[in-house]
Amino acid sequence: MLPAMSEDTTTQTPAPAPRRLKRSSSDRVLGGVCGGLGAYLGVDPIIVRVVAVVLAFFGGAGILFYLAAWLLVPSDDPTAKAAPGRAATIAGVVVLVLAVGSLLPFRGDWGWGAGGFIVSVLLVGLAGLAVWRLASGERATGGGADVVRRAGLGVALLAASLILAIGGAWAAATDGATTIAIIVILAGGALVFGAFFGGLRWLIVPALALALPAGVVAAADLDVKGGVGERVYRPASAAALRDHYRVGIGRLVLDLRDADLPPGDHRVRVEAGVGQVLVLVPSDVCVASKAHVGVGATEVFQRENGGVDVDWQDQRSAPHGTPRVIVDGDIGLGDFQVGENERRDHGFDEGAGVGTNDACGAARRG
Amino acid sequence: MRAEPRAVARRPDPTSLVAGLAIAAFGVVLLLDATGTLDLRFAALAPLACGVVGVILLASGLTRRD
Repeated sequence: MLPAMSEDTTTQTPAPAPRRLKRSSSDRVLGGVCGGLGAYLGVDPIIVRVVAVVLAFFGGAGILFYLAAWLLVPSDDPTAKAAPGRAATIAGVVVLVLAVGSLLPFRGDWGWGAGGFIVSVLLVGLAGLAVWRLASGERATGGGADVVRRAGLGVALLAASLILAIGGAWAAATDGATTIAIIVILAGGALVFGAFFGGLRWLIVPALALALPAGVVAAADLDVKGGVGERVYRPASAAALRDHYRVGIGRLVLDLRDADLPPGDHRVRVEAGVGQVLVLVPSDVCVASKAHVGVGATEVFQRENGGVDVDWQDQRSAPHGTPRVIVDGDIGLGDFQVGENERRDHGFDEGAGVGTNDACGAARRG
Repeated sequence: MRAEPRAVARRPDPTSLVAGLAIAAFGVVLLLDATGTLDLRFAALAPLACGVVGVILLASGLTRRD
């Protein structure tokens, strides 16, 4: 008797579960969207985060996409659904308010203005959340109120750091650079100490807020000791021409067009911390110039250079019997301009009035 | 006989440690510039600042993965 073939002896492998996009609860920075997307696509979540950050600079697309995914994509943590009022709910409400606010058919003071305000509040809140996350090392978990509290603390820390940044930059630009540098070193030392004994991680953001603007001030050679405002000097003779003019923040105009300059060299140094230096010369005077601009531009007889760390040099020799003005400029943040006339809009005339420095002989442009 | 409580060695916080060292190094550069030992330019500041912020963020990110 043959055994009954009542049972199917073939083994069946269970069909693989369909791969679903879920927010990661184990690899998360905010809502676990990038972590989940990275796992879904099989790529490193860091790459996804970098792409999201890059997209954030294209009209905020990355931010909106992230918040929408935070709201719509479920978490891989089964207990997450049982916790109402989580961060995703907050983000969802904010996104909906943002969407409705952007679609409101208002004009003028409302409409896009209100949407822009909401976007600003949203971005500030997210920045605060990120700052608090960095400062405390704690994740943005828990209820919505907890997330809002952390974001608020982060915004407060951000605001305090902003004040610190402005104050530090001002101090660094007014003879306090050494003090600021020592404070930054001490803050770094305190953080190293805190790494072993705890409790000082919050110091990272204020220390960076103090150090980075001070670095910008140092790189720009910013010096605002010369006062604030507009300084206009019109020396009538070589004897009245000083060797040094300075303005801290503002505009410095050295007008030599009516100066009686005898043949020979006349050296003058002009400095501005933040602002514009304008040197006006008569057409029968040869001008040799050099300048350093931390951030900004030089415009010397229609020749323009701009950017950061701008070094201009235009060494010219004057024919015998021709006066030569040698201008040495140092501008932290702003413009250095030399010409024969002031332009009516912002600089010089576009035409022949600008001058070509024809009074000079051979030129060697740097 | 009661067992003596075992002292637990505290692990240093890598983010604070890296941030402290990076910020202190940045401060030294600022000090050297302030004293005229070197002339800090944007060409050097930009990579330096990015490096400081980058290592801090990296340390923070890697710490979370532990």
